[in-house]
Amino acid sequence: MTSDITTPATQPVHWDLHYDIHLGETWSRFMDGLREQRILANECGSCARVFVPPQAYCESCFEPVTAWRELPSEGVLEVFTVAWHGFRGGPTPPYAIGGIRLDGASTLLMHWVVGAEFSETGDVRAALPFGTRVRAVWSQERTGQILDIAHFEPVD
Amino acid sequence: MPYRAAVVGVGITEATSPRKQTSSTPELCRLATERAIEHAGISPDTIDAIVTGNIDGFEGTVLDGKNITRALGIGDTVPLVVINTGGTTGGNLMQVAARMVRAGTHRRVLCLGGPTFFGSVDLQSAINTNSPMIIEQPLGMGAYHMGAFAASAYQARFGLTPEDLAAVVVADHEKASRNPYAHLRYTVTPEEVLAGRPLASPLTQPMVCPVSTAAIAMVVGDAADADAHSTSPALIKAIGMSADPYLGGGKGDFSEMQNLANLARRVYARADVRDPLDDFDAVEVFAPYAHMQPMQLEALGFAAPGGGVDLIRSGVTDIGGKLPVNMSGGPKCTNGGVSGELAPYAYAALQVMGDAPPDIQVPGARRTLAHGTGGSFFQFENLAVFETLTRSN
Repeated sequence: MTSDITTPATQPVHWDLHYDIHLGETWSRFMDGLREQRILANECGSCARVFVPPQAYCESCFEPVTAWRELPSEGVLEVFTVAWHGFRGGPTPPYAIGGIRLDGASTLLMHWVVGAEFSETGDVRAALPFGTRVRAVWSQERTGQILDIAHFEPVD
Repeated sequence: MPYRAAVVGVGITEATSPRKQTSSTPELCRLATERAIEHAGISPDTIDAIVTGNIDGFEGTVLDGKNITRALGIGDTVPLVVINTGGTTGGNLMQVAARMVRAGTHRRVLCLGGPTFFGSVDLQSAINTNSPMIIEQPLGMGAYHMGAFAASAYQARFGLTPEDLAAVVVADHEKASRNPYAHLRYTVTPEEVLAGRPLASPLTQPMVCPVSTAAIAMVVGDAADADAHSTSPALIKAIGMSADPYLGGGKGDFSEMQNLANLARRVYARADVRDPLDDFDAVEVFAPYAHMQPMQLEALGFAAPGGGVDLIRSGVTDIGGKLPVNMSGGPKCTNGGVSGELAPYAYAALQVMGDAPPDIQVPGARRTLAHGTGGSFFQFENLAVFETLTRSN
């Protein structure tokens, strides 16, 4: 494109929109459980997979998922990344986000993992090996949201 | 016989950073459209539909649908379809256009991908709004944080070293340096990649794509009209899309791309591809982060699990190799959002048309593969197989 402009002219635009997302029956029950320090999952009656967070339907079997069960708040850290650089409005880095397979779950639950010392130049998986057993640490104030679990930490 | 769809024209704008870009989104889109129409050798008034797209939250308005198409000057009664499938919007534009032509409802459809990352002051913050709300969004993940899960899992399973990741980046930059439309056209050394600022382990900044501004347009037409174009069209032999669960935690295993492998089996069967390494002359994959290209090459059947890096290091994927991959330099060196996702389709089509930029054209390419991926934790995948059109008469 031919242009005589060499410096782009820009004008700032700001977007700040708020929403109330309706959780529905399945996630409402999950969130109510978190408030009571209980991690509720559900199990597909057809394939027997256990979902946490729970889900209303099994996408593999096309069946509604109706059988509920409580899972222990311990499991295995299967994967994680250390965020060394964050973004505006996000948590202050560094922070580790991991996928935790709670005992008895077929899915991973994503959450923060606290309790290991990471260095930018070091091997983060040496500091916190995949397969480490971790447990949920509950927030003092619980309001029925995912951060009612403050984070996970390695089991001693 | 059923209608067959082909790419008959491609238009690409030169890419640059938002900081240096003096054109607006509509101006870039108009330039890409003009180039695609000129390449096809058609009259603008023969376009009978437009497929465009945008990504929620990445731009201030629904620019593509409301604004840009009216500014193209190709008619005021042309039907408009707007796609919004997050990061896969660009790849899905051509998939939808091809289906419209195959259905026989339209003969000549313009696909238009604009620079959707254009203007976002902190892109990772915008992308965080697209991570799964309620459950995962509060944890503070942008695009490369989500991408890093696969990098970390793949590394742990197969022993991928930081040097391996750097080798992928070095190869991508080398290719981009030959593509006049690429954004990052400088070459890098492994040392520079390894010394980059850490973003999300194990990824450093040089292992992650830039924010680019560019637009791409493609004209998809009825293959039976082939004589009406000035180009040698790229037949869209097979297309397909596949989706994983919405939550990242539903993926289960981040160390392999099972969803892509499943899709590849389906699409290869439709195109009668039996030995991918032999059957394709060039491949363009959407690999904005260094670990993605080797993982995708494995899922696509070009290497055994864990063998993707060896394939890249061996030179097989360079120009002159058995399977040139991302001759464009890929999204690692140019990522303009929707235009970035449309780019693999544009370049893969150009290869079989024989019209890729001279320094990246694979001589005699007759069958190529284009790939796109995006969405939360790369939940969506799409593929297309292009072939040099064999005229029926």
